[in-house]
Amino acid sequence: MLFNSLAFLYGFLPVTYLVFRHLTGKTPRYVCLAISGYVFYSFWNYKFCALMLFSTLVSYAAGLALLRWQDPVRRRLCVWIPITMDLALLGFFKYANFMVTNLNEVSSWLGGRGTLPILEIVLPVGISFYTFHTITYIVDAYRGVITPTRNFFEFVAYVSLFTQLVAGPIVRFRQIEQDFEHIDRAERHAHRDIGWSFFVIGMIKKVLIADTIAAVIDPALARYSELSTLSAWLCMLGYAYQLYFDFSGYSDMAVGLGYLFGLRLPQNFNSPYKATDFADFWRRWHISLSSFFRDYVYIPLGGNRGSRLMTYRNLMVTMLLCGLWHGANWIFVVWGAYNGLLLVLHQMIKETWERFPRWTRQTGTFGLWVLGLVIFRSTGFDMVLTLLGTLFAFRGGAEIAGANVLIVVLVVAAALAHAGPNTFEIRHQWSPSWAAGFAVLFGICLFALYGSRPAPYLYFQF
Amino acid sequence: MKGDGARGSLWQLGRLIPCLLIALGVVDLGFRFVSIDPLTFRAWEALRRYRPPGAAFEPNRRYYNARSYGDLAAVGNLRELRQYRTEVFTTDALGFRNAAHVLDAEVGAILVGDSFAVGSGVRDEETLSSSLSRLWGCVVYNVGSEIPGVGPDQIPAIARRLSMRSRLVIRLHAEDAQEPTISTSWQVTVRKLVAWAPGEVRTVVARLRGMLAVSPLQILSERAVKTLADGTILPNNYADNVVRATLTNGESMLFLASRVNDFYSRREAAAGYWRWLQAELQKARFDLLVILVPGKYRVYRPLLVDSRSVGEGAGDYLDRLEHELRASGIPVLNLTPLLTAEAARALERGEYLYWLDDIHWNARAIALAAAAVRAQLPPAAASCRAPRPQLVQRP
Repeated sequence: MLFNSLAFLYGFLPVTYLVFRHLTGKTPRYVCLAISGYVFYSFWNYKFCALMLFSTLVSYAAGLALLRWQDPVRRRLCVWIPITMDLALLGFFKYANFMVTNLNEVSSWLGGRGTLPILEIVLPVGISFYTFHTITYIVDAYRGVITPTRNFFEFVAYVSLFTQLVAGPIVRFRQIEQDFEHIDRAERHAHRDIGWSFFVIGMIKKVLIADTIAAVIDPALARYSELSTLSAWLCMLGYAYQLYFDFSGYSDMAVGLGYLFGLRLPQNFNSPYKATDFADFWRRWHISLSSFFRDYVYIPLGGNRGSRLMTYRNLMVTMLLCGLWHGANWIFVVWGAYNGLLLVLHQMIKETWERFPRWTRQTGTFGLWVLGLVIFRSTGFDMVLTLLGTLFAFRGGAEIAGANVLIVVLVVAAALAHAGPNTFEIRHQWSPSWAAGFAVLFGICLFALYGSRPAPYLYFQF
Repeated sequence: MKGDGARGSLWQLGRLIPCLLIALGVVDLGFRFVSIDPLTFRAWEALRRYRPPGAAFEPNRRYYNARSYGDLAAVGNLRELRQYRTEVFTTDALGFRNAAHVLDAEVGAILVGDSFAVGSGVRDEETLSSSLSRLWGCVVYNVGSEIPGVGPDQIPAIARRLSMRSRLVIRLHAEDAQEPTISTSWQVTVRKLVAWAPGEVRTVVARLRGMLAVSPLQILSERAVKTLADGTILPNNYADNVVRATLTNGESMLFLASRVNDFYSRREAAAGYWRWLQAELQKARFDLLVILVPGKYRVYRPLLVDSRSVGEGAGDYLDRLEHELRASGIPVLNLTPLLTAEAARALERGEYLYWLDDIHWNARAIALAAAAVRAQLPPAAASCRAPRPQLVQRP
């Protein structure tokens, strides 16, 4: 079920909201959120609910054990055992076939005859996200950053919270612990206005901007070898804005839904296209994921505390893992390496880079990001090379249908992304004329949803 | 941009948006009580909305559309390739495409099949059952419906409501239809339960199901989206659903993309279902005649510019099925040679046997098929020509 579907808007959301509001105590509300999370998840594949429940039970037990034991050896076991189990499940479902394929290719290259069979595995939606939820919980409990909850339903509600379940943001327990504790006293009226404001803005970003761009560039990129240079640039710029408005739109809707249930989810996008360098960019883009890799990979590796070379190594390792997290494919590994190299390069020329005017740094950062998206969007290395060749070949070719609409939407999207405030910078108190404008745009979104199948969010695939 | 003046009023998004959602929901609900005829491009969708269980269409309806066009032009969103024509589509009291008086006439045979049997884009008098009735003299009662269609267990019940002179079932099997399957005992039980239900209950169920399943607002929205996706304002992503090919006379003809792909892969031609069907009908003392109708791509592929070559075992499904049926002793008429040859001749005159913008055959092909089927039928009984209005049990 998608947030931008009529089934969600007219079925799941009102039922869950009304039941939640009707309940008064903490635990009943935890139970309501937990059940709604599993119902929401079961719309994809109910069989995988058991997998999520298993991961939840293991992490909950680990939290209780960390509360009970102070012995360092036992505490370490309480971290390593559940995390190993979580990562093993993630590794099996997401990376097993990637490893099998690569082993077969290496074997073939070495002259081996036998091949390992490709497993018929269905990737459970959201496993990358809820696995990270449970990992952050266990590690933070071990580090003493949070006190593990004894309330089983509170923990189940946290892991299976439908607003963040399938595509993030990767919310750490400490970030919403306080709201969970006061869930029976949630300020409904104040939160309701802010929540709907976030939700409406997210819906407009997704349906009117991201999906419109996708409607033009997806068919064009399906015939990428026929594109002219101008069309290729339009497509890649379009993809940059599509990705941003799609995912930040989803995040805004998640935040808005969180508010409706009295939970303030953290910011996931902080105007990333205003970034002046790549380190700045990754502090603004998919913040919940980049901060996860910073806190749980980069810093434990040593961060920037060692020599320059060690810092570079840590950056590369972190970004390679970040790339691999996005998908079990060498394309994503190369994309991670590209971003790692840019971060290393930034470290090397930081002082020189800072001397450039701000707009130059912003443009340069955005341009390099767009080039990186050639890798991210491609389905294979052939496509990467062809698209890169087209972008810089200055050649003619097929123009794209709907180019005029694309240009108009790109202008609007660019103005919003590069010059407009992001949703966390807005006060969400609207004058009647602005409210009416949002209502009209939201009405158009709904009308469009009636006539077309809701487009899934790009980050669902990860 | 921001202001505090709206606090506590309807203009707060926290009130406005839920109100908007409710309002749109109410509009959607209200539209569901309205006829969708003006929003449809052909009868099929309009008359299937309130189809009672066990029937093919809404009973006792007459659909008229002076600007009907083909399903392929619709699914491919190709406005410029639409062939506008008049469609008149009448259903009888049982919910099948027959003129009302047919229920009072002597019926010589029952025609079972899919949309090719029903007739799409043609007037009532141009359907296979009507053409065959005229040629034969005995009325052929049309119980064509969507697949899986009318099962052999339903035939005796339908026959009891008709005045049957001979017990013949003509089963039309179109190449483009899915492979028919033997009814499970569960399906038969459900159909029996449905048949036992009072007519009023079935009508209410049909109304409720139609109102739940069909949203006029959704149709309006789809139209708006398709209008924008015209290939200029926005790319026409629907166009991939169809294949636009050029005939040797330079005319464009549309084919369903999935059918074109299916044509080039081998399809099993098993007689199991047909033997079962014949056995079931024989239990009720019905004879069976199977009519095999070639798909549009099968007929027109040789007449296309740059058509792909066919691999071993592909593209000859109906021929193999005909062979299997004959081997099983089931009477069969394969229309493929007739329609393929006639299509080539008609093309020289600038005429077609299938609609250019539709998956179905047109009146010209139906007339040819009716003549060929007529030749397979026994002589019409003299009594077929006289109506017996008082003998029919009304539903």
